[in-house]
Amino acid sequence: MRMIPDDIRAGVRRLFRLPPGRPEDAHRDADAELASVIDAKTEYLTARGMAPDAARAEARRMLGEPGGTRADLRRSAERRERRLAAFERLGEATADMRYALRTFRRAPLFAGAAVVTLALGIGANTAIYSAVSAVILRPLPYTDPDRLVTVGEDNADFRWRLQDAAPANYLDWKDQVAAFRGVAAYEPFQATTTLSGYGAPRLLTTTAASGGLFDVLGVRAALGRTFQEAETWRGTGDPPPAVLSYRVWRDVFGASDSLIGKTVPLDGRAVQVVGVLPERFSIPGLDIDVWRPLAWDPADRTKVWFRRAHFIRVVARLAPGATLTSANTALQTVVSRLKTEYPATNAHMGASIEPLHHFLAGAARLPLTVAFAAAGGLLLIACGNVANLLLVRAAVRSREAAVRRALGAGRGRLARQALTESLVLAALGGVAGLALGWWGTRVFAALMPHDLLPVRDVGMSWSVLAFVFLVTAVCGVAFGTGPALWTARRHPADVLKEEGRTSSGAGRTRRWGDALLVSQVAIALALTLGAGLLVRSYMLLQHVSPGFEAERVLAVTLDLPGLRFDGATRINAFFEELQRRARELPGVESTALASSLPLSGPPWSSEFAVAGRPPMSSGGDVVHRELSPDYQRVMRVRLLRGRLFTEADRIATPLVVLINETLARTYFGGEDPVGLRVAFDRIPDSASAWRTIVGVVGDERQTGMGVPARPEFIAPAAQDVRRHMTLLVRTTGDPLAVAPAVRRSVAALDPGLAIASMKTMNEVRAASLARDRFLTALFLAFATVGMALGVIGVYGVVTQLARRRTREIGIRVALGARRWQVQWLVVRRGLALSVLGVAIGLGVALEATRVMRTLLFGVAPADPVTFVTVPLLVLLTVVVASWVPAARASRADASEVLRAE
Amino acid sequence: MPLLKGTLDALVLKALSWGPMHAFEIGRWLADRSAGELAIEEAALIQALHRMEERRLLVGEWGVTVNNRRARYYKMTAAGRAHLRGEVESLKSSVTALTAVLAARSA
Repeated sequence: MRMIPDDIRAGVRRLFRLPPGRPEDAHRDADAELASVIDAKTEYLTARGMAPDAARAEARRMLGEPGGTRADLRRSAERRERRLAAFERLGEATADMRYALRTFRRAPLFAGAAVVTLALGIGANTAIYSAVSAVILRPLPYTDPDRLVTVGEDNADFRWRLQDAAPANYLDWKDQVAAFRGVAAYEPFQATTTLSGYGAPRLLTTTAASGGLFDVLGVRAALGRTFQEAETWRGTGDPPPAVLSYRVWRDVFGASDSLIGKTVPLDGRAVQVVGVLPERFSIPGLDIDVWRPLAWDPADRTKVWFRRAHFIRVVARLAPGATLTSANTALQTVVSRLKTEYPATNAHMGASIEPLHHFLAGAARLPLTVAFAAAGGLLLIACGNVANLLLVRAAVRSREAAVRRALGAGRGRLARQALTESLVLAALGGVAGLALGWWGTRVFAALMPHDLLPVRDVGMSWSVLAFVFLVTAVCGVAFGTGPALWTARRHPADVLKEEGRTSSGAGRTRRWGDALLVSQVAIALALTLGAGLLVRSYMLLQHVSPGFEAERVLAVTLDLPGLRFDGATRINAFFEELQRRARELPGVESTALASSLPLSGPPWSSEFAVAGRPPMSSGGDVVHRELSPDYQRVMRVRLLRGRLFTEADRIATPLVVLINETLARTYFGGEDPVGLRVAFDRIPDSASAWRTIVGVVGDERQTGMGVPARPEFIAPAAQDVRRHMTLLVRTTGDPLAVAPAVRRSVAALDPGLAIASMKTMNEVRAASLARDRFLTALFLAFATVGMALGVIGVYGVVTQLARRRTREIGIRVALGARRWQVQWLVVRRGLALSVLGVAIGLGVALEATRVMRTLLFGVAPADPVTFVTVPLLVLLTVVVASWVPAARASRADASEVLRAE
Repeated sequence: MPLLKGTLDALVLKALSWGPMHAFEIGRWLADRSAGELAIEEAALIQALHRMEERRLLVGEWGVTVNNRRARYYKMTAAGRAHLRGEVESLKSSVTALTAVLAARSA
């Protein structure tokens, strides 16, 4: 509080006011003021003719109670000082902030570069963190979710781990493992069901759960009730009960409370709505509208298929006091008992246990973690760049700082100011990054394939916001510390002695800058290597043949309601008529039917037996599909042996089957399988009819482009009738052009039918690559930005280097040095540092890319092609980035340079 | 004479609008201008000054009186001047209103 004495009254000399600060000082100040007023009053009264003693006594009267007034004044003075001091500190901070903003306005390029750099880093991290938080960090929306585990079946022969379980095994675990307080199950697939009577026919997703599922999860119905344990079994409810998701209740049924207890027609059959789940309820990876009870037939308990068909996901809650280890021990006891009790089905079947959240987030965990690490690397590079920019500025402004110190500004004050500058910068970057991240989160949520983001609600949560601010603050401190310390440490005399010559004394900045450059190059290289591996893998994946020709094929999936289509004849008639009408449409070349599409996930699997041969030790694990006779011709799948199906293979004719190449090779070796008879278990019945193999066809990849084909049985759709079928339409032109006509044909044939999905096979193919494409694109984007920032960093450091040596370069040029010699002088240093960075980056990447192994297809994590090309590319970029400023420096006119200094 | 609430601040600022004064001077100034009607106790006045300094309506600085004694001089700040202007306006209007009401005679 310095005051310029502009209107001093005559005779009053001003003294410096010492800011008291401490309470004792404030007290002394108050006491002195009181004494001075007493003196003044005494003086006044004396002047009015009062006797001095009386005057003093009169003046002192104001003290009142001994110490009363004094104490009051001390208090008010202390309070005043405290408030003023606080305000002064605030004022300083505001002034620093204003100063920082003013300097940014004066150097918009610097500030802009720093803010954009930070925004990119922070934005990328926010977006990725939103996904990570939604999938991995956010607890499952159940009661005590960390006490929940999943139990799955293991089989070394099939390379199964935590596979879906067989019902009979689930029931035994439920009854016999005491370490579980509750065990429940659900079918982890989304089926579709047609809802009629509520506007246009509408397809809803549905699956079945055991009666106790919601109790085990600790989820209470938002309305009505959930299922009861008894409802696991058939015959306990007529009409059968159903529990709706909150979303369907709200969007389809208008959030009507009176819906509970009412019946609604699903697939033409009445079900009774008994409850609505809470809004927050979800199971990652599943998006279910209608939950039905499993409704198993009690008579099935003893049947062999009940122990052999693996199709339920088992969830258990650990009993109080039980741990993962103790529960697993208890489980293994039961498992080995089952092995001896049921050798036919369980001899090779183990079981294991895993935290439920870990399992459900499973497939997304690694890619998200890797993406998060990449985003972190990007942020580090961004921070490094900003630190570099700040260092350069600190060097430029060292004279200003020195002058201010010489004028009495304290070290702490200067350091605080430099730190304020970087914090303001970080805050600006944080706000811009938040905006970018908000946008990026939405883009991610829209673009991320389902297996990377198996949850519905992804958004900026408080945790994301907290995370961003943490990152921003850490950034601010991290890149502010260097310049702040350095500004404060240097002795003003040293700086001023240099008289503007920038040739020496900047050792600390240089070392800082060098370290930054090395780490930036290292991180940028590691990012680019990761991207390089993913790009190579993606390119290889693109060239994999899925076993069929995806061009010009439209796939239209239908789900016939069971009530109206209650027999094989009716279903076959419908699909035959549909195909006939579709074939007549203009632009249609041919049509076929398939019970499931290739590249769309594994279809049903089971074991099989060959007639006249002993059972295989490992049972044989095969998938099966039902196809129409034209399928292979429409999809361009090769016939390798025997014949395809014909129209003559019908319900009444002998049962036939095709096998794929992998099955023939795996189970029959060199032998010709055509003519052999096989039987495979079906779900839900085990009527293992014998079928004759009539031909061998080429492999189609069932799960994904990167996953080899599994052994497959193909049955004629006319013999193995399914209501859920896909009509494949091969067109002469754009397949989407015939889509409306196909839709009209379906509606004309049966107005009450909803189309489950309509897409081209190219889209199916693209969808199967979605995860790889997304990760590759993400990494490529990160690596590009990382490299760009790295190049800016290198450019900046080398420019500084060149500027520091301008004088030397001038002298050398004056003495006749060649231009390239001078350029080399500057480039050499940038290059040496970059080589060090590349070496470190290679080391880091060799370790880091190992975790990516399962994300790569056909490329080793230490792929030599990538690990040679990418570093060379990076070095080349660095040379260019450092040569530009070097060339500029060497062009400088010697006489001018020397004169300027 | 008892003072209306908040009036003291305005009076002190008015005194200081003439130039920096110390606490006793302010008290005398007010007493003189009001022909002794406004006799404010010095202790209360000092506390009021501290409070106003805290609100940065004034700044206090040690100075030396004409009689060569040390005294804490108070000077009005720009914020104080603005505050005074506002207070004078509102006091004037409330006095006018009060006068109008109290001076009303039954018709």
